[in-house]
Order: sequence, then structure tokens, then C-alpha cells
Amino acid sequence: MIVKTLSVPIFKKLARELIKELRVNIAVKALMNKAATVFFHHATWAGYWETVFQMVNPSWRDGYYQARVKSVSTLNATTLQLVLTPQKRWPLHLAGQHIALTVEVNGKLVTRVFTIASGQKSRQDEGTIRLVIRVKKDGALTPYLSALLSKTASKASSKSASKVSVNISAPMGNFVLPKAALLDKLETSSLEQAAPEQIKPVVMIAGGSGITPFIAMLEDLNSASSDNLQSRPVHLLYFAKENEHLLTQELAEYKRLNTHFTYEFLCRQKDGGVEQRLASHTDAHWMVCGPQSLYDEVANTHANLPPANDVSLDSEHFAAFPVATAQTSGEKAFFSLSHNGSSLSVDNQQTLLTQLQQANRPVTYGCGMGICHQCQCVKKRGVVRDTRTGALSDNAEQLIQLCVSQAVTDLELQA
Amino acid sequence: MITTMNTNTVDKSTVNTSTVNKSMVNKGHGYKDSSKHLNSGENANEQASQQSSMSTENSHTKVPDYTKLAIQLDAVKTDVKSKIGSEDAAYIRRVILAQRACEWTGRILLMLGFIQPLLWVVGVLSLATAKILDNMEIGHNVMHGQYDWMNDKYINSKAYEWDIACDGSSWNRVHNYEHHTYTNIIGKDRDFGYGLLRLSNDFRWRVKNLWQFITYVMLSVMFQWGVSYHEMAAERVFFGKKKDNRKNQLSHAELKRRFFSKGARQLVKDYVLFPLLAGPFFLYVFTGNLVANLLRNLWTSTIIFCGHFTGDVQTFSVEDCVDETQGQWYYRQGLGSSNIKGGTLFHVLTGHLSFQIEHHLFPDIPARRYREMAPQVQAIFKEHGMHYNTGGFFKQYASVLKRIIRYSFP
Repeated sequence: MIVKTLSVPIFKKLARELIKELRVNIAVKALMNKAATVFFHHATWAGYWETVFQMVNPSWRDGYYQARVKSVSTLNATTLQLVLTPQKRWPLHLAGQHIALTVEVNGKLVTRVFTIASGQKSRQDEGTIRLVIRVKKDGALTPYLSALLSKTASKASSKSASKVSVNISAPMGNFVLPKAALLDKLETSSLEQAAPEQIKPVVMIAGGSGITPFIAMLEDLNSASSDNLQSRPVHLLYFAKENEHLLTQELAEYKRLNTHFTYEFLCRQKDGGVEQRLASHTDAHWMVCGPQSLYDEVANTHANLPPANDVSLDSEHFAAFPVATAQTSGEKAFFSLSHNGSSLSVDNQQTLLTQLQQANRPVTYGCGMGICHQCQCVKKRGVVRDTRTGALSDNAEQLIQLCVSQAVTDLELQA
Repeated sequence: MITTMNTNTVDKSTVNTSTVNKSMVNKGHGYKDSSKHLNSGENANEQASQQSSMSTENSHTKVPDYTKLAIQLDAVKTDVKSKIGSEDAAYIRRVILAQRACEWTGRILLMLGFIQPLLWVVGVLSLATAKILDNMEIGHNVMHGQYDWMNDKYINSKAYEWDIACDGSSWNRVHNYEHHTYTNIIGKDRDFGYGLLRLSNDFRWRVKNLWQFITYVMLSVMFQWGVSYHEMAAERVFFGKKKDNRKNQLSHAELKRRFFSKGARQLVKDYVLFPLLAGPFFLYVFTGNLVANLLRNLWTSTIIFCGHFTGDVQTFSVEDCVDETQGQWYYRQGLGSSNIKGGTLFHVLTGHLSFQIEHHLFPDIPARRYREMAPQVQAIFKEHGMHYNTGGFFKQYASVLKRIIRYSFP
């Protein structure tokens, strides 16, 4: 009877998977993991062995790719350049895509998202990708990065750095250079024969470290394929604080190599807002990457354009990290909470558990005081405050207990 | 900071998170005037003293300054919390590694028993050690959420499953909730005596208590099944009894399914599959697993009884704990547990449950830290005139046996 209760669901599940997928490797994997459950009380082999593998290779982590740190260097006082060699099976990215970088900081896994500041060319030629990271004073990655930096500086050889590995996600995102297109107004025959002035120009609007996807695109423009015409006009408006423009030498180099590429370094205090700069770039494809405020300005300008203009807009903007201090809960404020896909509004005065219960959401709970961990769920993003200590959480994915958490920003939860 | 924390009853009151560095715990059960908990920070001390004066009516002889107690113990906790980091992560990984090594050594040596019986003996001990490490230092502590801060995909209270008959998430539900929240409150913490043993005068004497020492031995031998059955709140699942103060979060069907699937998996694994894998050495492996499970059961049961049911451990009534403050909660946790002295290896093999007092005060601090917290806690207890119940293994165990026998009689 015991064997029966155990085996029937296994075989049913396996048969279903075989029929559904018709792919043997999936069934084999399911069978293997079933064996892990039966013999070693772990849901997957990866879960059982991960710690053992990590003794040999600390960055072996199920569900993540590995990348070796090739070099780390400073671009300016607050910005680092991290060159990584991803493992071979890491998929080739598109210029403009981003990855999640995961490192262990004082025993804790910390994940941050970065745009890849290099194109396909450097991956294909040298096997590397590059991240440009702004180091914040209290940033979660900061201790790790500064340790890495001093380590490479003291040893002064690339050999020591190459032993350090990190985890990265697959490339994500669709903020990529669109295929070259002719201006709508023209009636020319084909793209290949079109003169540069007949191709719809690209206007890149970067703010601060928002230069990263564009530098990747410019790298790949130089090795243009047929649908990524090198002759397409590209103009970059680069906003940053005075003397804090990044990668200026590389931009100058791309300008030298590509006669259709031009750029301006701008400073908002000095050179005025975005709107007037964009006035001369109607009939173009606008791409904006930078802080929310920059995006808002561009989107506003775009909305106010007369309909006759042929402007399309792509964007990638990062919301500033929430500014909240641990001591004050502040005035009552409302945030949006996405709970298992559906959303509701929560305030910062009551616990998330209380509010989910009031909204009649199905939540498991127990002690209501942070001991039993029954109401625990995965916070995908957002910041919460621990009601017991007032401490603020990280912005990235982690486990939280609903009964002792209050919203500090918009949240996304998964039970 | 005053935080109104509620249990089962839905609490509609606003939570005020202002300043004072002390939180107060109000049980949702039976508090009458919720408005009084909405005081701002300045009133916290006043309110606390008012509450502690209420509890002077309790039967406990000496009443400590609960407010001060809470501040002191909170400080110990904050201090250790700030130290938690890579050391602790490396430690739990090392323990997991040791567990894997013991497990494989054990399982392989069992099969080699035909060459030399001594190999079989070493195999049994190795496998038993693996199971003990898995259940205590890894399973129990990880499932308490002690390592959740690592953000590890596998080493966290949601994902971990252990090598024992009891389903992990059910254990999490009952143990962490009932036992750790309502420690030694008669009628709420069913871990007190496991519903089988009469361990204080709070329970009416019944004839069956006369032979409860034998019941205790049986429970120890079958401990994993006892825990599993118990944590499932099995008596209610199977016999349909239901208490009003318990909200069933899971349906009975689901509980039953979990009980049988995890239990069956354990039986099939240890007594069918692994022996079959050994082929002709079926019996070596079968008996080896049986003995390893027995050793694990006896060890865990003994440690847990020494942590909870020594002679001096106090019990509390539901009325004692109405409107309990953080300080009073600490007080109850501290007096409801007992420690066992021993060496490092001993502590590791008990999953640091030899520091049961610290574990009950700070259930989600990585257990290896209890070692450094213990002297501080002991000093604080002394200052407040509270009994810090500790002693060598044999002293504590003798005290447990005495208690079991004492309450066998009316």
C-alpha cells in the first residue's frame, strides 16, 4: 500500500511529461530529480549537491550562469568598469540588453541589474562582456567591489583576478537598436541603395550611467551587418554632471571610425533642458536611457510634438532607489503591491499581512510576530521595513515575513 | 516602537511605528481593549510597568523588571545580529558538506559489512551522524529561518526538506508557530508532554500516567514518527476533533496526503530502495538503516527532552500571557527551557539545542552564535534573579527522568 501511494503519482507525472514534451532529456531530468527526492529528501539533485560543488567552485549555483572576473578598473571617482568572461554556454546578448549580477557579500547573495556596456563583437572576439557600475556609498555591492578592486590593485596581475567568479543571469530586455528603416516620407526603392540622408536617423539620449546600452550599440554598429547599416546616422545627446561624462575616449574613437556618428556632451545646468536639444531631431528614432526624470522630459517632448513628425520612442529608465530612513516611518503613504500577479494598494502604516487579509487574499500565516515563518514569501522587488527593528530591506529578491513587513516602496510578491 | 502583533484574530488597529527601541507583543487572543495599544512611544514604559504590575499577581516568586530585561536581551540580539555574515554562511555550508560525507560513507560502508562486520558498525554510526546533522544542525535551524538572510536558493526555511518522517512544511507550521510562540503555555503548546506524558500538575492525573515511563521509552524509540504524527496535529486529522482557537490553514485531506507521502517515502527509502540497491546485501543495509534511525531517534528525543522537560522548567497558563510584553515573553521563553553543558562537537550534534534557552529567546539567530550569547544571557538572568537552568548532560537527563516518573503519580 505504501509503495502504491508513492509510485502511482510518480508514474502518472512522468508519463504526462513524456507525452507532453516528447523530449527524453526532460523526462530523464524529472526521473533523476524524483530519485533525489526519494533517496536524498531533496527536490532536485542540484539542491543536494550544490554545497558540495561550491567547495570546488564557489560560484557553482543552480539556475545561474558563471562568469570569471577578467579585470576591474576605475573610470572615475565613483564609477567602476568590470570586465567579465561568461562561461561558454551563456547565450550571445544583443547590444542594449541587461543582466542580473549576483555576488556573495559577507555571506549574503546580492543581486543587481546592469546593462551590458559592450557589444556582441567583444564577446565573439575576446569572450568578454563589460559592466559599468556606479559605486554608491551605502550600496549593497560596494564592499564587494572595493575588495575586488584592492585585490587586483595589490597583486597588479590579471592572474589573481581571473580566479574570482560571479553569477550572472541570461541577457534580458529588448532595448536594442531597431532595424534600419527608411524615412516614411521618402519613396526610395531599397534600403541598400539608400543614401545616408534617406535613412531614419537614431537619436540616443543618455543620462549619466545610462550611456551603457548605447556604447554597446555603437560597438556593434562598427561591425554592422546588413540590417544594421553602418551608414545610418546616429546622434548622441549625453547628459551628465559637469566633467562626469563616462567613456569619452571610446565615444571619440567611435566618432573617428564612423563618419555617421556624432555626439554632444551636455550638462543640464549649463546647456538647458532636453526639449530644445531635441527640437532639431524630429523625424528620427529616439532612444532614451537614464534616470526617470530624463525619461519624463523626453516622453513629454515626444507627446507634445506636432503629429506631422515621424518620431518613434524607445526607452529604458531606472527609478531612483527609494530614499527612506530607517528611523522614521513618515507620513501615511500608499504603494502598489503586486501579489501573485494581481495588484492592490497598500499603505506604510499596517503590516502587509494585515492588509492582504483585509483584501481577502489567500495568505498562510501563523504567529503574527515574526517567529514562525509561515507567512514568508518571496519579494521579487521593492523595499520593506521590518516592524521589529525598523531596518529597511534590500531592493532585490529575497524572502520576507509578511507579518513584520511594511511597504516602503511599490512591491512585487510571490507566495 | 510599539507594534501591535496579532495572531489569529484579524486585527484592524493601526500599527504605530514610532521611536522607542522596544516592541511589545500583544497576543490577539482575549485582549479586550485594543485602543490601549495605540499609545505613542512615550507611553511605552508606563504601559509596560502597568503590565508588569499586573503580572505580579502571577504565581512566580520573583518578578524582574520586564522592560529592562527586554532592552538588555534585545541589545544582545542586536549585537550578535551585526556580526552575522560570511562566517555563518561558510559554517552552515561546512556542516552540509560534513552531512553529505557522512551520509555517503555510511551508505557505502553498510554494503561492505560482509567483508568485515566492523565496517558495518562504522557505517551505521556514520549514517546516524548524517541523519542527526541533517535533522538538528541543518534541518531544524535552517527551517527556523536562521539562514534566510543568505538569500540562498536551497538553504532557507521555505525550501529545505529533511531526512525524517515529518513533512518539513508541516513541522514549520506547528513547531515554529505553536511551540515557539506559546512555549509552555498549557493548552496552547502541545509540545509540552506531546499529549502523551503528564509532566506537571497542570494536567489531571489519569491511570495511563502510571506507565508513562514506558510510553516515554516507546516515544523515544519511535521519535521521528511521534514528531511527524504530533506535528500533523494528527489527532484532529484522524479523529475529527477541532479546537476553536486553531484555524486550519490546510485542509485535512492535504495534511493526510503530506503525512502519508513523506512518511511512506521515508519507509520506502530506508527499508526497500536502499536495501534493494545493495542486492545480495539487502539485510546488511536494511538492519543498518534501522539501527541508524533508532540511534537518531534516541539522540534527538533525549536532547529535546533535556531542553524542555527538566525538573526546573516552568509552565504558564493562558491567563498569564494575556497582553504579554516583549519582556514577559522573553521571561517565559527563558524559564521554559533548559541548557546542557558540553563540548563543541556535542553542541554541533545537538544542533546547538543544548542552548535551548538562547534558542527560545532568539529562534532565528544562527544557532552557532548561541555559544557566545549564552554567558551574556546568563549574566542578565542573574541580574534579574531569574533561574538559568543549565547543567551537564547526565544531571539534566536524570532530572527529566525524575520528572517523568514523579508525574506518573497523582
